[in-house]
Amino acid sequence: MALVSDLTTKVLFETEKGYSYQCDLTNKIIINFVDTVSSYKIQDFLLFQRKVNNVDILDMLYDLSDKSDAQLIETTKRNFSRNLTICEIVQLRELLNGTKFTLNLHSMLCNIVNVELI
Amino acid sequence: MKDLLRTTTSLTEGVENILNLQAKLESDASNKYLAMAAWLDRNGFANTASYLYKQAEEEREHFLKIFKFITDMGGIAVTPSVPEVQQEFASFREVFEIALQNEIAVTQAINKVIAKCRAENDYATEDFMMWYVAEQREEEKNARRALELFELINENEATGKFELDVQIAKIG
Repeated sequence: MALVSDLTTKVLFETEKGYSYQCDLTNKIIINFVDTVSSYKIQDFLLFQRKVNNVDILDMLYDLSDKSDAQLIETTKRNFSRNLTICEIVQLRELLNGTKFTLNLHSMLCNIVNVELI
Repeated sequence: MKDLLRTTTSLTEGVENILNLQAKLESDASNKYLAMAAWLDRNGFANTASYLYKQAEEEREHFLKIFKFITDMGGIAVTPSVPEVQQEFASFREVFEIALQNEIAVTQAINKVIAKCRAENDYATEDFMMWYVAEQREEEKNARRALELFELINENEATGKFELDVQIAKIG
């Protein structure tokens, strides 16, 4: 698969539960989290990351009712739709935040290189 | 590897966040003016009510201008939530005292946006926000003039309130 070869050069972030990479052919970010693969335009990825970061973990921890054991996480265009436990939300958060960090770092490096070329 | 972040948007996350906050502030200001206009209307101040209805429209235009700018720049514009606003006022004068306080708060927020733009070298957004600097100068002047009229016209005299209603509506 073409996408697999991309993985060797364009992995953005990797955790025990998944990894992310950038596809330059489609300009998308691909997230593989616990064997669920979903792809995002950059804006959709940023919305997804914010959504996962905005989940109130403490509220879920303190709420002893069954409904707070898991939360439905859905993204734009229903790329990703899963009921995640608190633990999985923390793991997904780690993956998305790590991905965002790499994207930011890459953007900063490109900016520095571009400025030096001028 | 392509720089997908930069090719999608020219706004940094920090500038985008502060612009969304400013958009919310303008949207809230519109609702506050709307509540003031309604209070004035039901208390017989028809002219100043029209004046503040117009102000509410203007603030909404200011909100939309920022909102559209964020999306034009490739950012993510967040539709602001609508909070409760003050519906009742102690007096005719208090309406305009609160209006001036609101305008001062908006001016201070705009200054913060521009400071952020400078810190992040975002001169395009700074240039865009300069329109708001000029606009706020005018808005604050008008709000002060309204309070000045309360000093010039005694609202407790026979036709004081009526005259104030006519004169404030002529501002701007």
